[in-house]
Amino acid sequence: MPDESNRNSQVGPSEVMPPEHSGTIVPPKSIYDRTLTWAAGLPWWAIILLVVAVAVLYSMVTSSVYRDIIESLTDDPQVSTDELFEVVQIVGEPTMIVGRYVGETQDSVQSVITQLLRNVIESELVTQSGFIQAADPATITIRTETGLVTIPRDRIETMEPPDATIGDDATITYIERITITGTLTERDGDTMTIRTVDEQIETFEKSRILSREGETIPCDREADPDCEDQEQVTIERAGREITGTLSTLSQTNLSLQPEGSPGTVEFRMGDLDFLYVPTLTIALHEAIVEQPVQPGDEVRIGFVEGTDITAALAEMENLEDVPVPLRYSDGTAQVVLVPYPDLAAALEATGAGELDATIYLDDGPERLAAADWVDENPDAGVVLPNPPSTCDRHCEVTVKLQDDTVSGIVVDETDEQISVRTQAAEYVVIDRDQIVDNRRMEPGTCALNNLRGCNEGIFLTLRVTFLAYGLALIIGLFVGLMRVSHNPVIYAISTLYVEVIRGIPLLVILLYAGFVFSPWLRDNTPLQLSDEWEAIIGLAFGYGAFVAEIFRAGIQSISRGQMEAARSLGMNYPQSMRYVILPQAVRVVLPPLGNDFIAMLKDSALISVLALPDLLQLGRLHISRTFRAFEGYNTVAILYLLMTLFLSFIVRTIERRARLPR
Amino acid sequence: MMSRNGEPIIRIENVHKRFHTLRGTVNALNGVSLDVMPGEVVLIVGPSGSGKSTLLRCINRLETVDAGQIVVDDIPLTGAKNINKVRAEVGMVFQSFNLFPDRTALGNIVLAQRVVRKRRRGDAVTRAHNLLAKVGIPDKADAYPAQLSGGQQQRVAIARALAMDPKIMLFDEPTSALDPEMIKEVLDVMLQLAKEGMTMVVVSHEMGFARAAADRAVFMDEGRIVEQGPPDKLFSSPSHERTQLFLSKIL
Ligand SMILES: Nc1ncnc2c1ncn2[C@@H]1O[C@H](COP(=O)(O)OP(=O)(O)OP(=O)(O)O)[C@@H](O)[C@H]1O
Ligand SMILES: [Mg+2]
Repeated sequence: MPDESNRNSQVGPSEVMPPEHSGTIVPPKSIYDRTLTWAAGLPWWAIILLVVAVAVLYSMVTSSVYRDIIESLTDDPQVSTDELFEVVQIVGEPTMIVGRYVGETQDSVQSVITQLLRNVIESELVTQSGFIQAADPATITIRTETGLVTIPRDRIETMEPPDATIGDDATITYIERITITGTLTERDGDTMTIRTVDEQIETFEKSRILSREGETIPCDREADPDCEDQEQVTIERAGREITGTLSTLSQTNLSLQPEGSPGTVEFRMGDLDFLYVPTLTIALHEAIVEQPVQPGDEVRIGFVEGTDITAALAEMENLEDVPVPLRYSDGTAQVVLVPYPDLAAALEATGAGELDATIYLDDGPERLAAADWVDENPDAGVVLPNPPSTCDRHCEVTVKLQDDTVSGIVVDETDEQISVRTQAAEYVVIDRDQIVDNRRMEPGTCALNNLRGCNEGIFLTLRVTFLAYGLALIIGLFVGLMRVSHNPVIYAISTLYVEVIRGIPLLVILLYAGFVFSPWLRDNTPLQLSDEWEAIIGLAFGYGAFVAEIFRAGIQSISRGQMEAARSLGMNYPQSMRYVILPQAVRVVLPPLGNDFIAMLKDSALISVLALPDLLQLGRLHISRTFRAFEGYNTVAILYLLMTLFLSFIVRTIERRARLPR
Repeated sequence: MMSRNGEPIIRIENVHKRFHTLRGTVNALNGVSLDVMPGEVVLIVGPSGSGKSTLLRCINRLETVDAGQIVVDDIPLTGAKNINKVRAEVGMVFQSFNLFPDRTALGNIVLAQRVVRKRRRGDAVTRAHNLLAKVGIPDKADAYPAQLSGGQQQRVAIARALAMDPKIMLFDEPTSALDPEMIKEVLDVMLQLAKEGMTMVVVSHEMGFARAAADRAVFMDEGRIVEQGPPDKLFSSPSHERTQLFLSKIL
């Protein structure tokens, strides 16, 4: 029936046109109008899909920004909680960090790891300005507006002016406290040792694997039937080889600019396996070392076929430590160059006296081969010059890092590459007299298996809304029943509540709940409300009035005959209400109740006045940090929209379920 | 017909009922006295607004009386504490059926048995099925009121009242909202009830039913009983002028 009347009313205006308009031209609908009509005709799920699609598309464009915001708005839930872990707060810096090793894989450690990745060590810097009252070798005491502060000198980070002494005004920045979060591993008389952890994913080419040992760690199928076994591996891998242009070279460090990339990479000499600077080098027969070449002599020099030797010819004049007047450029000696198929053959020829010298490319492998050959044939009489070490800038060098071992869990493996998640533990030793506070943290972290630990953002908004609405329903039902009561006192009380509460802005009611009711309760009863419950009570109380009116209207919409029929069957008033009137009234009021529910979800944004980190509040905090107002409010709005769309879907489903067959 | 020895099951003595409305006071009942014997079928007729419905509603205390007294089954209704017990003894059938729209026919009949009579579900359901068979719609147990015709709805309403095992049944124009072909099916059920010896007070202008089942007819006007007697006599030779006028309009 309602369908038909709707259709009529739509068709009506175009069919029945007033006579004075019959001659005018009706302008065609604009694209805007048509889009609007089209959108209004879409089913609800299509609208949701559209909104999500737009949101996804947009976030693809600026994804990292949005990911950041969403993470902060949703309390950044972890996948799973951890074991208990300990927080130790200390004054001053840790005395030392002991060791660092790779390969903790016990479950407990692993779960601690995921928790502790952030802010393992945090220091608190404090700046004080004032007048220096006293100074000794260990401390400085300054008088600030609030009183005297004594600062140990070793904790001072900056002091302005740097040479201030007693009587000067100074601004000092110093470390007030350092917080270390980790697992307690050891405690003796003077120190505490805390293990903090660091997790990394290492991805490298499989071609670098020298050896690999692995074992499968079966996963806990009882806890999660879909889980996948993990592979724990220990891989010995070859150190990387990098070729590039040398930028700096010192006793301890070396930096180079790899081929084809603009930046430079720095290495510690200790990490390097070898370093070579490819140059042409000459190996000589000892005879030629002892007996200088005479002008006019013929000097036979071998080389490996295909080697570009012109550079070597220039290099020859600079040979240090080899007292050979090998002069060929000015024609004082006759040089014959003899090609050989490989280096060994050339060296052998040199040793046999067929050649006076051999030129080869000193590019690492060849040099090693030459050195090996000389070692193996000590009697051959071939001498090698010291490697050239004159190049300290702009020449091409190749470094090879030392081989190392990687242990961890394989997270990804392709034909070419392997990714291993490693865990490294770091031990921090703290003097016990520096510890001001240490406490055990309960596993209250927000995680998917511990949603009660999720107290911020979207979780807070949803939880407050659900609890407050549940409470509002109870208040509303009772007040609604009071409003249809024939008892004048009950009726008066309920009417007073409804009229008063309805006339006060919700924001004011929330402030009352938070700053009047809750302190009163705290002072006069043993009850103490959390911020969250203040908000819930305020919202519920404010909405209770509206819900009560909805219930009243619903009850009154049920015809009197229903009550009379129930009473005539012998039911008393409460029974008639409970079994006959309310079930019908609830069906009537479902749509307006659903409306109020959605309205409350939106109004829950007001609770941020009680300093609660709800969705909006977190969004604003994030924006004030990042200045990304557009993206921030977009995300806040879209999250609210998604929640309300989801709720109206639920409300609709309930309504459909409750509909009577006709 | 049943014997009329002994005490009346309903005693109405000089009952007055006033309604206070915005437009003034309406005297709905002005000193009505009426006794109904067990097993008797009393028919009440009268023009609109004469107080017929009000009288019925006073009998099961849907309205309180302002003066006078009503005693049902030896329990005086004025100030009675166990009023719900009396109501359960007195079944009422309304012109507008007043079935519970959110319950099936069966659910309508079962509800009060469970809540008031505290019967076990199985017993209540059996009784409901028997009653639905008795009123001639055994196959409509799972239909909702909106899925039933008017006649079927009224018969469910009668079954619902009978499920409480009442001693008295009150009918307030049970057929006047029905199409003619449905009237008969409802009247048949009422006739059957009358034959079984149920005490009935019926407000109706169905002459067929009146002649076939009523022991006594009562004519009311302006909140007073004007005249009463056996239906045949009242309808064929009314002694009062107003009765004649009224009957001439409806016959
Ligand atoms: N709840 C009420 N409030 C005010 N006046 C009422 C109420 N119920 C009945 N009346 C008045 O009392 C008088 C008697 O009403 P009642 O319903 O008993 O008449 P009736 O004989 O049943 O009429 P009908 O044949 O039209 O049903 C009427 O004037 C009516 O307006
Ligand atoms: Mg009436």
